[in-house]
Amino acid sequence: MATAEKAYYVGTDMNCGGACLLKVHVKDGVITRLETDDGDEPQLRNCLRCRAYRQRVYAPDRLLYPLKRVGERGEGKFKRISWDEALETVASQYKRVKETYGPAATIYLTTGGDIGQVHNTRTAVRVFCLAGGCTLMWGVASNEGWMFACQATYGYPTGNDHRDLPNSKLAILWGMNPAVIIDGCGTAYHLALAREKGTKFIVVDPRYTDTAALVADRWIPIRPGTDAAAMIAMAYVMITEDLYDKAFIKKYTVGFDKFKEYVLGKEDGVPKTPKWAEAITGVPTQDIVELAREYATTKPAALLPSKAPGRTAFGEQYHRAAFTLAAMTGNIGKIGGSAGSEITQRGEIPFAMGPAMKTGGNPVDAGSPLRRDALPTPISKGPGLVARLHNSEVWNAILEGKVGGYYSDYKMVYVANANYLNQYPNVNKAVKALKSLEFIAVQEQFMTPTAKFADIILPTCTFLERNDAVWGAGPHVAYQPKVIEPLGESRSHLAICEGLAKKLGISGYNDKTDEEWLEQIMKPCVSDFERFKETGVKKFYQPPTIPFKKEIEDIENNPFPTPSGRIEIFSQQMADMNNPLMPPIPKYIESWESRNDPLAKKYPIQLLSTHPKRRSHSQFDNIPWLRELEPQAIMLNTKDAKARGVRDGDLVRVFNERGEVTIQARVTERIIPGVADLPEGAWYQPDKNGVDHGGCANVLTVDRRSPGGAFTNNSCLVQVEKA
Amino acid sequence: MQIGFYFDQTRCTGCYTCVVACKDWHDVPAGPASWRRVLTIEEGKFPDVFVAWLATSCYHCAQPACVAACPAGAITKRKRDGIVLVDQAKCLGKDKCDLCLQSCPYGAPQFGAEKNAKMQMCNLCFDRLKEGKKPICVAGCPMRALDAGPIDELRAQYGDKTEAVAFTYSTDLKPSVIFKPKLRKSLVGGKR
Repeated sequence: MATAEKAYYVGTDMNCGGACLLKVHVKDGVITRLETDDGDEPQLRNCLRCRAYRQRVYAPDRLLYPLKRVGERGEGKFKRISWDEALETVASQYKRVKETYGPAATIYLTTGGDIGQVHNTRTAVRVFCLAGGCTLMWGVASNEGWMFACQATYGYPTGNDHRDLPNSKLAILWGMNPAVIIDGCGTAYHLALAREKGTKFIVVDPRYTDTAALVADRWIPIRPGTDAAAMIAMAYVMITEDLYDKAFIKKYTVGFDKFKEYVLGKEDGVPKTPKWAEAITGVPTQDIVELAREYATTKPAALLPSKAPGRTAFGEQYHRAAFTLAAMTGNIGKIGGSAGSEITQRGEIPFAMGPAMKTGGNPVDAGSPLRRDALPTPISKGPGLVARLHNSEVWNAILEGKVGGYYSDYKMVYVANANYLNQYPNVNKAVKALKSLEFIAVQEQFMTPTAKFADIILPTCTFLERNDAVWGAGPHVAYQPKVIEPLGESRSHLAICEGLAKKLGISGYNDKTDEEWLEQIMKPCVSDFERFKETGVKKFYQPPTIPFKKEIEDIENNPFPTPSGRIEIFSQQMADMNNPLMPPIPKYIESWESRNDPLAKKYPIQLLSTHPKRRSHSQFDNIPWLRELEPQAIMLNTKDAKARGVRDGDLVRVFNERGEVTIQARVTERIIPGVADLPEGAWYQPDKNGVDHGGCANVLTVDRRSPGGAFTNNSCLVQVEKA
Repeated sequence: MQIGFYFDQTRCTGCYTCVVACKDWHDVPAGPASWRRVLTIEEGKFPDVFVAWLATSCYHCAQPACVAACPAGAITKRKRDGIVLVDQAKCLGKDKCDLCLQSCPYGAPQFGAEKNAKMQMCNLCFDRLKEGKKPICVAGCPMRALDAGPIDELRAQYGDKTEAVAFTYSTDLKPSVIFKPKLRKSLVGGKR
């Protein structure tokens, strides 16, 4: 019998930080069409990606049944099996590997795909913890360098609230592109509102981004990996022209004098003048001087450096330099100012939202010695444990194991919520590493390049097929009701993990349904749970959150949680590490694969891999409504293209020692010469010679972490030739 | 009465949300037919560049050329709200005739990839207007760059500018659209 169409409000949880609101129409158990938030402003409007979500749910390449590999790894040949056989295989392989090689020989790989409060990475981590342990990772691909720098300087990481933007007289967007990245529902919209209210915008970026096109009054193009040099030269101008806030520095910071000595050249004989920086950054001296003066004399001003320039070798220095400039201009903790962090604030939700399930503690972590070159962070103890692998070094670890100095030999991986092969550096090494393993299980929604390497595939449903909740930058919390039954035999994360726990003989893994978990999590903030379920969202109408406001208003009673209680321009913790590549004050350290690297003779183009417009990382790459909007292409400056005889739309070979991609060229004036941009997330499609035709940037990137843990994807040299 | 569009070109980031929301709402498959489109305009030389977007669709002209051009009488303009609609049952199909497309300076008539595809185009979401809702593109724009409604009311609210980057107002057809155009300005302050 046909039923009437019903509409549900659903918070989205793609890996973009949006958590926007879909209104999903369902008839007879089938999603018919989508709207977005039509309630009170601020409406949490979706972008193009989630507006295409119906095609994602019903995509012909959705994984609907458990599969067992029958071809070679990577070949994509599979046979349908039962859930019982799939889970039994995974459980018995884990037990075998643990008994033969120890619990650390199994690696759990995950990232931020499709993560709610109930169905998330912890559901599987808990299984492995209770079953005897596994190797877990550290190193957030997005912003580990930023977190390290926050930890060293402020004692905890935080950033600006986009609703505070209209209060700034000047905003400096450094590598920040929320028009594409989203990064908090409505951030680009708030930028437009600020501009309309009179905020002046200066954009420092190798590219003239879509965000620059929206708001920039000035664009200052800069060479990748050199941002810290420009910032340190800005400090030079502020010091030599006596433009910095001495009272602020004195009251709230420690170690400025040591930084000043470095800036003025008293430490190493090199004064960090704008001219010094011009040679490094490509930014004309006069532009650096003007930028420094304008930032120092306009109050309040928000310096908003994004994650991308920190995804370079020594990217931590860029973030530390930005924090120092924010302190020198006295903008920290002020309305309309910034702490030199980007917009990360999701508001002060009046309760602790967070993955509901406790992992139970990982025996492998518990047995691990501590690393000396890590800062203790409240986010994760991962960086401090020898047993943890950095996400950019997992392929090396698998290939080399104990012989290579790693904590264990590695024989099995369990991948969940992650197109890991595609999204971490050095895909060709990943292929070798995955081929070398004894067993691979992948929990996925689609036959991704990673899933093709699985021995067993466990099909996972989308967020429209289970109950959960998300929180976002409204600030708001949004319900994720199950609006349709899971397609085929796909199951939720929690259901898959329950099945696996049972096969592993674990008792007491879980005693609640996802709905019961939700009620427990939401109760402290949503007094009427039934009503919340109906409206689907709760928006918190509160003033914008100002990072470090409480510390600045009353530093004596609210010291920063650093060893000195102050903003640490000089960090004794880092000095104690005694590593010149992790200096205690922010310094410019030239990245590997910079334009001065001897490698640049062979590979003269600096490659960026920025966020894609029509994907959320690698999610949505397979969705026809999105694919047709723009082809995957490498952005090349007209000069570089001309020198290579390349015209817009031509196929080009992009290559270095690590791999080769053949992809379309997009020839434009919107990027600094000598730099190219291949947006990350396109699915790896190798031909028989291993040349990728999908345009996967990580075929080219370096799998080497920065000393503080930053990913270094944007420190990458390539050559481009007409195909 | 005439319903029309307003487009704030200064707010558009070229994100295509309007395009995808429209395809979903009207169930238009991936392929050549797209009732709403976004054009990218890039001008200038590094580092003094200018970038704008034009989100475009059928403008439901006061004097639509397509209505006059259609030999089958398949395209009509509704008296009560000025919405231009196509009756696919009467359309001859693209293999036989594309006079509507040839007549339209805005590329509004759309055809799918199928054999002898019948014309389709923006119908201003008259189904939604009837319920007091804005068209799906307007209601979905993350930048609030679009609006739709009686053109007199839009003029009263937003002014009566009919120019925008990459748009030419046809005084013959009188498209039912007003703009806040994006202005060209230098990014380098004349110092280079």
